[in-house]
Amino acid sequence: MAARQVLVTAAIVSCCTLGAAELRANPPDTYGFGSRETAMGGAMVADVRGVSANYYNPAALARSRGLEISLGYLRAGHHLYMNGLDNHVDPVKGVNGGLVVPGRLFEIPFAFGIAIHLPDDRISRVRALRQEQPRWELYDNRNQRLFLAANLAIEPFPWLWIGGGLSFMSSTRGRLDITGGANLFRSDESQLRHEVDADLTAVRYPQAGMRVALGDRVALAAAYRGEFQLALDLSARLYGDVSGLTTALYELQTHSINNFLPQQVVVGGAWNVTNHLKATFDATWIEWSAYKAPVAKLDVTLDIPPPPSGWPANVQPPSSPAPLRIDTIRMRDRIVPRIGLEYRVLQLRLLDAFARAGYEMAPSPIESQTGVTNYVDRDRYTFSLGIGATLKSFAKELPAGVSLDLHLQWSELREETTLKTNAADFTGDFTAGGRIVNVGFTTTVAFDGPARKGEGKK
Amino acid sequence: MTSTRSGITKSAAKRILPVLLLALGLSCATTGDQGEGDVNLPNAGVGPFRKLDFDEVRGIAPFVLDEEPAAYREPAVVGDGPSTIMYVVATRDGKDRIVRSRATDGRSFFGTSLQFGKKPVVVLSPDAPWEGNALAGPFVLRLDSGELLLFYAAAGGIGLARSRDGVAFTKEPRPVFARDPNVLWETTELRAPTAYVLPNGKLRMLYASGVSIGEAESADGRTWTRVDPEPVLGPAAPAPPGYLLPNEKGPFDTAGVSDPCASARITPSGRFHLRVLYTSLDPSGATTIGLAARYGDSGKLVRQTSPVYSANQKEAAPAFVEGSGGTFLYVQQERSNTGLGGKKTTYPAIAAAFAPANVHLPEPSDFPEDP
Repeated sequence: MAARQVLVTAAIVSCCTLGAAELRANPPDTYGFGSRETAMGGAMVADVRGVSANYYNPAALARSRGLEISLGYLRAGHHLYMNGLDNHVDPVKGVNGGLVVPGRLFEIPFAFGIAIHLPDDRISRVRALRQEQPRWELYDNRNQRLFLAANLAIEPFPWLWIGGGLSFMSSTRGRLDITGGANLFRSDESQLRHEVDADLTAVRYPQAGMRVALGDRVALAAAYRGEFQLALDLSARLYGDVSGLTTALYELQTHSINNFLPQQVVVGGAWNVTNHLKATFDATWIEWSAYKAPVAKLDVTLDIPPPPSGWPANVQPPSSPAPLRIDTIRMRDRIVPRIGLEYRVLQLRLLDAFARAGYEMAPSPIESQTGVTNYVDRDRYTFSLGIGATLKSFAKELPAGVSLDLHLQWSELREETTLKTNAADFTGDFTAGGRIVNVGFTTTVAFDGPARKGEGKK
Repeated sequence: MTSTRSGITKSAAKRILPVLLLALGLSCATTGDQGEGDVNLPNAGVGPFRKLDFDEVRGIAPFVLDEEPAAYREPAVVGDGPSTIMYVVATRDGKDRIVRSRATDGRSFFGTSLQFGKKPVVVLSPDAPWEGNALAGPFVLRLDSGELLLFYAAAGGIGLARSRDGVAFTKEPRPVFARDPNVLWETTELRAPTAYVLPNGKLRMLYASGVSIGEAESADGRTWTRVDPEPVLGPAAPAPPGYLLPNEKGPFDTAGVSDPCASARITPSGRFHLRVLYTSLDPSGATTIGLAARYGDSGKLVRQTSPVYSANQKEAAPAFVEGSGGTFLYVQQERSNTGLGGKKTTYPAIAAAFAPANVHLPEPSDFPEDP
């Protein structure tokens, strides 16, 4: 019992200190992780198991009884428009995969899991746009990145699961030095030395979860996902002689939050209505009000002393640019409800087949963009469907079988018109809306372990 | 201590792991381009503009119509199918006349100095007593009927000429609108007219006088009455003490506003939207092109705090025409020329700019063979 208490305490502490997170700007946050989970509307905090638990609720990793390996692919195409014209927002596509390795420690079941979303266009994209430029704030750049999470979970009692872990991202610091002499009249005689120094600094953010089984048919769960900021700091320094006339010093420092993930709390439940029908429900509170817009704060120094003979009459020396007046983005906290259904349509000795459906309603957290900023977003209503099949006793080495799940997720962003307060705004009134279509599949190979008393299979 | 509870064997792992690694390798995410997401962005069609690059015009960028003796200035433009028709003031035979040119790409205008042997055709000359020796500030409005109304300024006020083909114009015999000495802010004769059509079919005119811009209304174009005895746009107030950040510049039009160029549209939300580009003047005498606008058909114009175009070359008298891919801005701008013997001269010419600024135009077309 002492060992159990120590392990439970250690797990809770690790959840609080290390804990990992998936948040609304990782691709899984918007498009789901795993085809079964996506098809069920993402209402999975109480029902998830296997590799996808790394994202939805790390505590559920300990529900796995044997080694599981999942590999899948998703493609989310954006058809988002403003004033009726498609803005060509890049699709999010890539491999989803991971593994769960269960075991026992001091006779207590535990599991280690790792999950990854690996985009096939780029690992991560950094963009700092002018605050006036219209952009789909939640879909344009924020999801163009890698997601990587590693979690630990334990099952201290047959009715309780606890877990947590780490997600990894990197912030960027860079420096550019250019020194030497520039010949304005014969550029090929310029002698400039360039020096680039860039760092990718690891950022970790926490996630923790727990799951409680209330009998054989009902489970409740909760997960916490911490806040995360992805910073981008760049500096540049140019110094040198200008054709022997004068010297020039240009120093630039820019700081921006390239990606901000607000903290979230998810609560949910799962109910096995019958032996064939399962219903799930999640509600996610997201602290959008803490959001930091990805606008660069610029500090510029420009020093070009006049030549000894003074500036020629037709030359006007440049002056230092003024710092940018940044308009803060105003966002509201949101509660996002999700529901999911799973029906076993076929139950044979070697094959189980499932049909799934889900729904999510995500009201836009961004206040109407009536001023100079144009962080465009719209209320999002997501319907999802899916099918899945599990081949049991597929091979001697795979006693738990092989699963194939497919999903189709259809999001409608309700068209609305934004009215600008200032008639002289460069952007002007605009309507915006669109849809996102996400399709994908997941294959899972499960190596069964010894069954635990009172626990059935999916 | 740790043991998996699975029945996995080494042979199974050997079979699975290469497949897993191959899949991850195939999806290696390191070579993406910069991506999109910034295509077809909404804009009000009035900037900010960037001057045209050297590979976007024939001749010296950003100039699209120039000739030193003609000293082209105060352009007005109107779309005509695939062509852009430009009416511009030119000096010919000692008088300032209004001439017509044309381009099929918005940039290669008939009769510019590079098209040897060709010159824009004169469409209007000062020949009425009230006009004096110079016509100025042309603005062309195409009505739904296809008729072109050419408003212009002269010594005695604002005149109007009409045309069906855009080449042969018939003048009204007298000025259609003139300064009212009882209106205090109209300290000079009216100049730089521009016009637009209200949804109810009535005409509105913006005009400059002194350092401000006023507005008048007409049912037929011949008789105009002032909408408001006060200007709809005047010089901006200077920034309050302590308001500006270090190196931040204050309002750029505190000394005067002039040369309005108006265009009305219905926004995607259904609002009537009047957009006005104008020449701004600061106390040092420097000019830039500003934007003012309003929703609805009454009230003062509100200004954009950033200029829409600034070249520091005495840019003035904006005109713009919208197309499907963006908006061309034309301004009168000072051009420098170094002649034989190194003698440097400056003269006004017509420069062009484009918005959205991130769009690069294709190669310019050939010059048209007729104006």
